Amino acid sequence: MLETIGVWIAALLTLAIYSFLYKDNPFYKVAEHIFVGVSAGYWAVVLWSNFAWPNLFEPLVRQGNLWYIIPIIVGFMMFAPLFPKINWLVRIPLTFTMGVSMALFVLQIVQGDILPQLQATFLPLAGVSPFQFISNLLIILGVIFTLIYFYFSKEHKGVLGGAAKIGIWFMMVSFGASFGYTIMARISLLIGRLYFLLHNWLRLI
Amino acid sequence: MNILERIAKVDRRIIFLLVGLAAIIPLLFPIGLPVDITQPVKSVYDTIEALPEGSIVVVSVDYDPGSEAELFPATLAFIDHCFRKNLRVYMMGLWPAGIPLGNIVFEELAPKYNKVYGVDYINVGYKPGGAVMLLSLGRNVADVVATDYAGVPIDSFPLGKAVKSAGDISVVMTFSAGDPGILHWIIYFNARFGTTICGATTAISAPRQYQYLASGQLTGLLGGLKGAAEYETLVKRKGRATAGMDSQSIVHVLIVIFIIIGNIILIYERRKK
Repeated sequence: MLETIGVWIAALLTLAIYSFLYKDNPFYKVAEHIFVGVSAGYWAVVLWSNFAWPNLFEPLVRQGNLWYIIPIIVGFMMFAPLFPKINWLVRIPLTFTMGVSMALFVLQIVQGDILPQLQATFLPLAGVSPFQFISNLLIILGVIFTLIYFYFSKEHKGVLGGAAKIGIWFMMVSFGASFGYTIMARISLLIGRLYFLLHNWLRLI
Repeated sequence: MNILERIAKVDRRIIFLLVGLAAIIPLLFPIGLPVDITQPVKSVYDTIEALPEGSIVVVSVDYDPGSEAELFPATLAFIDHCFRKNLRVYMMGLWPAGIPLGNIVFEELAPKYNKVYGVDYINVGYKPGGAVMLLSLGRNVADVVATDYAGVPIDSFPLGKAVKSAGDISVVMTFSAGDPGILHWIIYFNARFGTTICGATTAISAPRQYQYLASGQLTGLLGGLKGAAEYETLVKRKGRATAGMDSQSIVHVLIVIFIIIGNIILIYERRKK
């Protein structure tokens, strides 16, 4: 019974959202406000029960681990700019956040992203099949020409300008592929909702 | 006013209606268009096929209901494949709303294959912290996972005890709709611990992942509903994704026709000026 009610509510809200395609109307506005309200409420609960309580307040309150007062104090320092006399205190949590981010992201992104991607660009052109040769050449040229487009220290004229134009073409192909995938994603979402309406609600399929 | 001028002024709601009909009709009356298998999807399938029985596969449910249409059918087909191969599934999530969706998959498939919770599969729930959490998880799982999603101590389950660090994990399969997700698993977990990473992602995010396929950091990829349909075809489990591919194809044809007509009108209007 509860499931049926849930399906009906979801179906009616889905139709209310899609009614915007005809024109803006009260049904759409009601569904939109419900969505925003439910999302805000949901995230408030998630932030408390999944972040704050188990990681901070539970060890402090239940286990009596007083060290956890320090992150609470540091967290409150984020609000220091609201009080001009002590606004310098915000530097402490910001410095800590920046330090952790630098340590974590810089090293790992160099090791995990930049270096392997560079390595993947140095592809062999000799001793490979004709198809592989063309494929590897396209990747190498694509990277070089695209990088040339983003070289702004010299005016894009002559050879540099020609190479930059080829770089634009490579980027256009890339944007085209992304656009195609974007359309596919949007249609997939439509199909997902239609499947829900036809299968779970109307039971036609 | 000739026909091109009339089409140029057509009400956009008629276009919406045509797209809607192109999506609904094939769902009601399936055509059964063939689904070609692409190499990234085949790689995921082959990776799972190559694992010996009892291997541990981490399934990270990194999406929420907003991407459920694309990623839920992929999750269903993938876990079906794991259970069929007698692999052990260790589910977790970098997105909080993914965990209930993962449980729905277990509820549907576990009875079918007589799988026991805590022995053959487990759900350790939502794990916040993104990159920091993944690095801790790879070093020492106990730093991150104390209980399962229902709050039961993880050491009370045989599968919970079996996963101590990244070395115990054969493959990570992330069903990712964004941040944190597939990129975090590649950049932090694969780079640091060398674990094989496969992924399923929304169609919008798929092009971004191809560079990682090329570099070998990502072993296989299911891109959008099409990727899910391909996986359903490989595991011989016709589901929602395969059903949706007829609609997907018809709507794409319709959109291509719209684009061609739009361009013809544009050229016509330019010449007229």
